[in-house]
Amino acid sequence: MSEHNTSLPERLKRRPVAEAIARLDRMMDLDKGRMSRDIFWDRDIYEQELEKIFARCWLFVGHESQILKSGDFVSTYMGEDNVIIVRQKDGAIRGFLNTCPHRGNKVTFADLGNARQFVCNYHGWAFGIDGALKGMHASEAYEATGMDKNEHSLHPVAQIESYKGLMFATLDPNAPSLAEYLGDFRYYLDAIFDMDEGGTEFVGGCVKSVIQCNWKYASENFVGDILHAGWTHDSGAHAMVGGSVAEVHKLPDQSYQVNFNGHGWEFNQDIVGNCATLGDKDLMKYLYVLQPKVAERLGEVRSKMIGAISSCTLFPNTSFLPGQNTFRTWHPRGPDKIELHTWTFVNKNAPQEIKDKWRKGTMMTFSPSGVFEMDDGENWEYSTKTNAGFVTRQQDLYLGLGQNTRITDTDLPCNVFRGQVNEANQRAFYQRWLDLMKAQEWQDVPQRDVPTLPTTSTKEAA
Amino acid sequence: MNAVATPQTEIPVDAETQRRIEQFLYREARLLDNERWDDWLALLAEDIHYWMPTMENRRRYDKKGAYQIDGGALYNDNLLDLTRRITRFKQPSAWAEDPATRHAHVVSGIEVYQGEQPGEFVVHSSFVNYRSRVEKDNDLLVGRREDVIRAVGESFQIAKRKILITQSVFMSKNLNTFL
Repeated sequence: MSEHNTSLPERLKRRPVAEAIARLDRMMDLDKGRMSRDIFWDRDIYEQELEKIFARCWLFVGHESQILKSGDFVSTYMGEDNVIIVRQKDGAIRGFLNTCPHRGNKVTFADLGNARQFVCNYHGWAFGIDGALKGMHASEAYEATGMDKNEHSLHPVAQIESYKGLMFATLDPNAPSLAEYLGDFRYYLDAIFDMDEGGTEFVGGCVKSVIQCNWKYASENFVGDILHAGWTHDSGAHAMVGGSVAEVHKLPDQSYQVNFNGHGWEFNQDIVGNCATLGDKDLMKYLYVLQPKVAERLGEVRSKMIGAISSCTLFPNTSFLPGQNTFRTWHPRGPDKIELHTWTFVNKNAPQEIKDKWRKGTMMTFSPSGVFEMDDGENWEYSTKTNAGFVTRQQDLYLGLGQNTRITDTDLPCNVFRGQVNEANQRAFYQRWLDLMKAQEWQDVPQRDVPTLPTTSTKEAA
Repeated sequence: MNAVATPQTEIPVDAETQRRIEQFLYREARLLDNERWDDWLALLAEDIHYWMPTMENRRRYDKKGAYQIDGGALYNDNLLDLTRRITRFKQPSAWAEDPATRHAHVVSGIEVYQGEQPGEFVVHSSFVNYRSRVEKDNDLLVGRREDVIRAVGESFQIAKRKILITQSVFMSKNLNTFL
């Protein structure tokens, strides 16, 4: 529960949660690796996703390094809700819907910047960076008719917290804490966002693009689909390293899939496999030099993840690639469209030329002009668009790869599976999706994964 | 396109130089339309900086402007980077290139001024780029370019190119051409 908004009046009353769509249970049989295509096409399902996934989950809203000074803000999205994330005078971070409570217009059209206040263009309502309505054009007219400015603040997000520099917010006041939401997955997040004592920062701005695909195709690709790389990205690998993608399916004992609460990570233990695809030896050298220090800090397994062949999705729609250092959110825009926002993350203490090389590397590989991303968008668009066919969309999809690969005799936290070429993480992702879509409130969501790390608060750890 | 840097003084060139550089740019557009990648690479100087920043929406008072040299970019390339992109285009496994894209690179409004170095020219142009692929993937980009073009023997090379498009959210799934 956020301590910020308790004194604010309730001008935004949430409607009762819609009844779960009756046929949901028939849409997937994950033990058999079967899934309906309706979840990628059906407009009613999409509307419920906005309610039961995006207005409920903790969503990534920015990196703290983007808003260092008081008044620094970024504009981003939680589902289709436009929000402003702004640094306060006391250093705290707050988030508000980017909409004027008077007639609903946006209060800022900037993607980012520094503001002393947000002023609506329509009637000049002016809000402080704390969201409070400070004044407006022709304020005497309102005062004369008894309006109380205190009742008309910007609407705050329900909760906002950071973990290792990554800022998350939820629009649901009853959501569990961020620590509970991330759970034991934080163990792995530290391998990237706490590998170095200075932590990470974002560099090089935000690159935004549109892909006409369902958001889940993008999320599930990063949650655990190294399988596609060897085929889809053959051309990109030839461009960057002069050969094919490593045949990771032949070495299942050196890699894993892990998942928790629908978050998933597939990873190898090769230290630099992803980084190598940027085609810059200085970056690989930087990671090789860092690795023994990370081993001291976080242990051997996590030190070998820092740039390895791997990918990760934080449920529902935020993903990143270690080593390639692209960080991205797939904002939903209807069942058949996403807006992709991407950033480059680097270790804050890395030399400037190393940061610059990573900024360039993400552009060369994972941007709309990138030699890898070009072939991804193509796949996801047509995996979505084929479902326009009335009969086509009644054909079930297969995600049964890697049944019976669960490892129980391991010290690694989360649900652990042998071999990164697997669909265990996709099945866990869709199970979480199904659990949320069926639940009327958070307490109805089954707790399938029991955390072993403390979940009281992320704030001390951040 | 208020963000385009304007040279201190714009010293026009003679009509023949203007005509030859126009022909050079029209030919370049035709090579790109026909995916003659190696012939296009031959037009580039070894020290080329080929730059296409992405646009941010900032308030006018924000001194940072719509783009920065260390900001987001779709191209921020040297010759090796451009060569790598072309290597991908030429792979039989470049799935998003097969069937092939149909390109139309339209170049207009070419202005040529003397550059800072002898034998170099500052060349402004505007462009329309339309791409079509498979049944109905159609992507439109409109923008402005600022080049430094260098006289080399009887012809020219592109030493610098800055490409500014109008979109901030790039409205396509990919950018599989040069502008």
